[in-house]
Amino acid sequence: MYETIGIWVAALFTLAIYSFLYKENPLYRLAEHLVVGTSLGYSMVISWQRMIYPRLVLPLSRGEDWLLIIPAVLGLMYVTRFFPKIAWMSRYPIAFLLGTGMGVAFPYDMQALVLRQTQATLIPIYTPGAPWHEILGSIVIVFGTLAALIYFFFSKPHKGLFFGTGSKVGIWIIMIGFGATFGFTVMGRISLLIGRVQFLLSDWLHLIH
Amino acid sequence: MNFWEKMLNIDRRWIYLAIAIIVIVPFFARMGLPVVPTREVESIYNLVDSLGPEDAIFVGWDFDPGTEAENQPMGVAVLRHAFSRHVPVFITAYYPLGQALAQQAVGGIFDTRVPGNYAFVPWTEWESMRAAGFAGRDSLETAWTAAGHALPEGARGWVFEGVDYAFLGYQPSFYLVILGMGTSIASQYPTDTNGNPVPEMPILQAHKTLRDVDLAVTLAGSTTCMTWVIYGTSRVGLRVAFGVTAVMATDYFPYIQSGQIVGMMGGLRGAAEYEVLETQGGYTDVTGKAYRGMDVQSLAHIAIILMVVLGNIAFFAGGFNKKTALKARR
Repeated sequence: MYETIGIWVAALFTLAIYSFLYKENPLYRLAEHLVVGTSLGYSMVISWQRMIYPRLVLPLSRGEDWLLIIPAVLGLMYVTRFFPKIAWMSRYPIAFLLGTGMGVAFPYDMQALVLRQTQATLIPIYTPGAPWHEILGSIVIVFGTLAALIYFFFSKPHKGLFFGTGSKVGIWIIMIGFGATFGFTVMGRISLLIGRVQFLLSDWLHLIH
Repeated sequence: MNFWEKMLNIDRRWIYLAIAIIVIVPFFARMGLPVVPTREVESIYNLVDSLGPEDAIFVGWDFDPGTEAENQPMGVAVLRHAFSRHVPVFITAYYPLGQALAQQAVGGIFDTRVPGNYAFVPWTEWESMRAAGFAGRDSLETAWTAAGHALPEGARGWVFEGVDYAFLGYQPSFYLVILGMGTSIASQYPTDTNGNPVPEMPILQAHKTLRDVDLAVTLAGSTTCMTWVIYGTSRVGLRVAFGVTAVMATDYFPYIQSGQIVGMMGGLRGAAEYEVLETQGGYTDVTGKAYRGMDVQSLAHIAIILMVVLGNIAFFAGGFNKKTALKARR
């Protein structure tokens, strides 16, 4: 019974959202606002269930870990944003989160996003015995990376063999990348439509199995 | 307005209608176009296929309903593969809504009314056997069936909560959770989503930290997947595989080349490839939702290619490349 109601609600709201493709209308607006509202409500309940109650309220009420008062107070300081006279207090938890977040993230980000990626372009162009397509791949990686970097080097005019030709090759490499991304984007958007149509035809209308 | 101008100014609602027809009709007339698995997907499949009950994997439901159509079939495919090989699975979620989607996915897999699914045994139901002493998964299954529990007709096997599977769920600030799990998984998840004590579970006693885990498959619709690489791979050398939306796929190919990720399922196509591999491996009798969508996907792509070609023909044949102003209909 509840499953059937859920399917009907989901199906009708799917159609309400797609009605936007014809033109904007109140049904679409209603569906859009309900998505935001229910998502937020659900997230709040889950956060309470999974984090705030078992990891903060319960230990404090049992007197198990008084140190939790510190994050509790910091968390409550966020709420002061609603009261203009003491809103300045909300800056402290934000500063704390920014500081610790940056401190924790910086070394790991550098390692994973910069150093390892740079290392992956420092590869031998020719390896004896390697198949031709791997050698071609290595050439594209090394020269493609260099050409794209030259395109983004703005301290010198893009003229001459190195900067001129390099930046022209670079823009081609970047355009090929955009083309591949656009192709994947089309695939992604169609996939999302397929998912909804599958739901409507099978779960709702039972026309396909 | 001449013919070419009319063509370039066609009401976009006709295009939407054409796409809708192209997407709906093939569901009723299936063509079964072949789906050939790529190396990026095969590498994930082969790794999971090489694991057994002594190993463990994480599957991260790191997406929200916006990308469910692409990410959900990937998760279902990986879970089915792991359950059929009795590879223990930890399920986590980056977002609260991801937890709900993961519950929906496992709910579908544990629905024994559908043939080919798995019979779920909750943690509380095998308490008496735990009290008698847990001596491995095989002996537990033997004891369970000896106690008079018959596998439902059509089911492929049992999934014991706490042994084959632990639903850890959502925790906020997930990057800190991954860092914490590098030292102790139980410290980050004292209880699972059902309130069961995670530290007492056999799955956790055999895999106490992320260092003891063989693979993390993150299913993501945003850059959240990188959290596993940045904090899991960099810190404890965790092997990570991506299941990402097609839009994101091109961004993450460099991470395969650099060896930072094991492989990648890109979009619905990636999920379909995994389903094909599973069917070929004998882990499922029928392919799943993603494979069934591939005929439609191919036809829709042909239609879009045709539209791009026609648009370009109209643009050049109408002489709009020669600085002629395109009279856009307002």
